[in-house]
Amino acid sequence: MEIEPATIDSGGNGSGNVVASVRDLEVEFKTGKGIVRALRGVSLDIHAGEVVALVGESGSGKSVFGMSLLGLLQTSARPTIRGQVHVAGIDMLHGAGGVRRRVRQELLGAVFQDPLTSLNPTMRVGRQLLERGIDRERALRQLGEAGVPDPERRFRQYPHELSGGLRQRVMIAMALGGRGDIDQSRRRKKRHAPVVDLAGAEAAELPVTVAHDASDAPRLIVADEPTTALDVSVQAQVVLLFDRLRREHGCAVLLVTHDLGVAASIADRVVVLYGGRVCEVGPAASVLRDPAHPYTKALLAARLSVDGTTVRTDPMPGDPPNPLALPPGCAFAPRCSSATVECEVEPPELTPRAREHAGEVACLHPCSVGEADASTSRVAVTMTRVASPRPAGAGDALELVDVSKTYEVNGGGLGKAKLVAVDSVTLTVPARGSVALVGESGCGKTTTLRIATGLLQPDRGSVRWAPDGGRPQLIFQDCGSSLTPWMSIGMQVEERLRMLGVPKGQRQAKALDYLGRVGLDRRASESKPRELSGGQRQRAVIARALASDPKLLVCDEPVSALDASLAVRVLTLLESLRDDLGVALLVVTHDLAAARRIADEVAVMYLGAIVEQAPADVLFEHPSHPYTQGLIAASPTTEPGRLSPTLAGEAPSAIGERHGCAFAPRCPVATEVCVEETPEFKVRGAGLPVACHHA
Amino acid sequence: MSRMILVRIGSLMVVLLVLTLAVFMIKAVLPADPVRAAVGAQASEEIVQAKRHELGYDKPLPNQYVRFLGNVMHGDFGDSLRTRRPVLDDINRYAPATIELALCAALLAGFLGILLGLWSAHGGRGSGSARVTMLAFASAPTFFLGILLLLLFYGRLHWLPASGRLSNKHVDSGPTGFLIIDSLIHRNPGELVDALQHLAIPAVCLALGPAVAIGRVLRSSLLDVMRQDYVRTARAKGLSEWMVVLRHALRNASGPALSMAGLQVGLLLAGVVVVELVFAWPGLGLYTQQSIQQADFPAIIGITLVLGIAYVAINAIVDVMQLVADPRLRVVGRAVA
Ligand SMILES: Nc1ncnc2c1ncn2[C@@H]1O[C@H](COP(=O)(O)OP(=O)(O)OP(=O)(O)O)[C@@H](O)[C@H]1O
Ligand code: SF4
Ligand code: SF4
Ligand SMILES: [Mg+2]
Repeated sequence: MEIEPATIDSGGNGSGNVVASVRDLEVEFKTGKGIVRALRGVSLDIHAGEVVALVGESGSGKSVFGMSLLGLLQTSARPTIRGQVHVAGIDMLHGAGGVRRRVRQELLGAVFQDPLTSLNPTMRVGRQLLERGIDRERALRQLGEAGVPDPERRFRQYPHELSGGLRQRVMIAMALGGRGDIDQSRRRKKRHAPVVDLAGAEAAELPVTVAHDASDAPRLIVADEPTTALDVSVQAQVVLLFDRLRREHGCAVLLVTHDLGVAASIADRVVVLYGGRVCEVGPAASVLRDPAHPYTKALLAARLSVDGTTVRTDPMPGDPPNPLALPPGCAFAPRCSSATVECEVEPPELTPRAREHAGEVACLHPCSVGEADASTSRVAVTMTRVASPRPAGAGDALELVDVSKTYEVNGGGLGKAKLVAVDSVTLTVPARGSVALVGESGCGKTTTLRIATGLLQPDRGSVRWAPDGGRPQLIFQDCGSSLTPWMSIGMQVEERLRMLGVPKGQRQAKALDYLGRVGLDRRASESKPRELSGGQRQRAVIARALASDPKLLVCDEPVSALDASLAVRVLTLLESLRDDLGVALLVVTHDLAAARRIADEVAVMYLGAIVEQAPADVLFEHPSHPYTQGLIAASPTTEPGRLSPTLAGEAPSAIGERHGCAFAPRCPVATEVCVEETPEFKVRGAGLPVACHHA
Repeated sequence: MSRMILVRIGSLMVVLLVLTLAVFMIKAVLPADPVRAAVGAQASEEIVQAKRHELGYDKPLPNQYVRFLGNVMHGDFGDSLRTRRPVLDDINRYAPATIELALCAALLAGFLGILLGLWSAHGGRGSGSARVTMLAFASAPTFFLGILLLLLFYGRLHWLPASGRLSNKHVDSGPTGFLIIDSLIHRNPGELVDALQHLAIPAVCLALGPAVAIGRVLRSSLLDVMRQDYVRTARAKGLSEWMVVLRHALRNASGPALSMAGLQVGLLLAGVVVVELVFAWPGLGLYTQQSIQQADFPAIIGITLVLGIAYVAINAIVDVMQLVADPRLRVVGRAVA
């Protein structure tokens, strides 16, 4: 493989420490329906040791940008690419395949969203690490650096034997491979051969560095949504890890994320993408504290937060731009409250911000500093609903009393082991009430839901529904796929009505009525599911569920797959349904902010058992259980530079016998009694039930 | 994993038991009288009765089955009516020729299948039309294919011989009966080349169908696997496309192809009978064919059992290979929660 030494910019000379440089990048995909313009002229320099956060809604082009830095756009699809992408001076678009490959191997690291699918399931972790072209010793050291306990053992395991958090750490350890220099590595490989090197005679004199040094790390890590699939506690740990690696190895990080909170915690610079163009770029502090672009502002306003302030009205009406038909002018114009006619002429260019602010913005009418915009102001929500007296004799929509569910699974050896998925859960959802069940993945939330809806029989305990409401309706996490693909949305609602015995003549009108309630018009009703956006499909599923006139809607992670603005919209919709139709809600989520937004009452689950239950405000303002406290603290905020304190460890496996408090191994305030005695879930000091000896 | 293999062996036993029962029932309901066949048409009634008693045919069916099972377990399938030798001896004599042919064909099918799968998944130049041609070949009946190849390579080009396992100038003098191995033992390259030339057309004939079937399944699962996230990871690591395919994609795509290979074994065994007939290949297929013509039931039953065992055993091996290829399958009954 031929590398022209002249083209290699070894950093620190000439180009001012620029690791990666992207100029006027345009990427188009030809699809069956037309041309998707994924990126439309994006330029960005990434400097050594810098963390750049790339934020934007789904489809804004974030991943395409990341893949182009890796020089991998061409392999997965055949897009039309214009512009330039250089990493360490090497052309990642048109360079020879072998050279680009070496850049990936030695200078770049990559971490992707889903750690389970991103690791080869049929190859041991160790071999996958060694493929980075490093030796065993270094691989083990990298595992240790990425916070993988007991690297020797993990080295021999398969990905499916690791938890989600550990898998992502393995991905990060793998990204840490590489030597930070193509030239050096080439020389090192030829160590035993007579040195006839391109770099000339002096190069032969240079001592070969074998020892680990600071440059023994990639120059740039491209992390595409590295924390999105993880629980809050693990997410905070991974963010901390990136921060440490950047400081210890000086590698730059491109952090692609749709969560401004994650961006805020470690980014030096924030780049906001909209419709394939950069709409704002600048130091994290100024972009997040004083956004200049109306879109950034709306994005910040739409973000659900655990601190109890939330948006009053929809901060971003309208839908994300259709990539097949982008408007000629500013892509945000159809949703922008400050839009004028000039905005629709041509896309605004990035220009430096006014006065003391660093950064650039692509907007003709940027928001001035500190401008209070009525439509996006955040207000503290007061949960008056809790106080309002329950309608007399309304009864409960759902009553779970002491339900338990245990599975038999194969233990380590040949024996069977017990997996306690749900452990004596008692939960009541009052009529017209809303209850959220929160906890880390694997804590038994979904099993509880399945029991609540009658899809699963509990081993013990009783389930009672409202006497006249029938079976509660369940709305799944990935609910778009629960729609029948070849039937129009309206037909699917009518079909549900037919099953309920609604006479033929009334079905269509009723279906349109239900669809109208969730904000879908006649046109949407005539569409097939694939013709709708993710948010519209979600609403269609809700409309279909409403058709059976349930007294209780049960939602499994209703917003975790949605962008901030869509999430707000779905939660607002659920809330209005409850107020207008009197449907009670039981929402399961690992997103604490969403729970706070939607629920009167929140129950926290840990390893199959409820450990704390309280009205939402009380729980978030004065959490009693150390686990609840840890979860809330670990949730990211948009405060620039605030690294969330982490909750140690990960949710343990639910297999096996238990002694004492299940949370004790991770609890910062555990004492002896915690290990010996299981704390009862009962009313304690604060007057609310909690399962902790020291609450 | 060892436990899963034990489970497999257990189910293999059950399948074999069912197979013997089936064969026994067929034997019991057949109009042909094995006793009469054994003693000859002219034998007196006493002799027939004596023989009937000796062979246990006067006992109730369940007893007969137990006796049959016992015999089978000892490898005693009775004597062939045609050759008058124990069926097992006959099978031992003809088996090496068939095993050699089937094994070569299976290896060829696997090799061609992988090649075809890789090539067509990669979408290289000409892979589309090649796929159509291969498909046409694969859907042609084996005997038709055999005759076609024979016409071309023997009739027209005179490159390859038409029938048998060796030319007259060589004789198979043991010791294994596998000509490739024997010729190596004899250090006789001429014999080896001769044997391989004879093997070529029949083996290709047998292999083409399964190869195309395996190739097609491999292609679709490869295309699927190449879209997976871990392939993206492998590329991002800086592996060459070659490495990505060989190390990451092929193994993960092998599951469906292995299942298909297991299915194809049955077809291959059926094809052996036809191919041996077309090419006068002195193996079990030819033996079966001749036994059928003469209603030689002990021989037919013996062959059926042996082929059945081979089929079940090969599929068990395929299953174990799948376990080896995919560590996730080794976990029995994962938690549903
Ligand atoms: N291989 C492809 N073929 C066709 N269109 C594509 C392809 N890859 C991406 N696109 C389109 O390019 C646009 C940008 O996609 P991209 O994946 O970069 O978005 P994103 O910002 O990463 O979104 P998300 O937050 O959902 O990951 C989208 O409209 C997408 O549909
Ligand atoms: S350019 Fe116009 S439409 Fe676009 S964001 Fe600015 S004000 Fe809104
Ligand atoms: S009981 Fe003890 S270990 Fe458990 S949460 Fe309370 S303080 Fe922590
Ligand atoms: Mg993406």
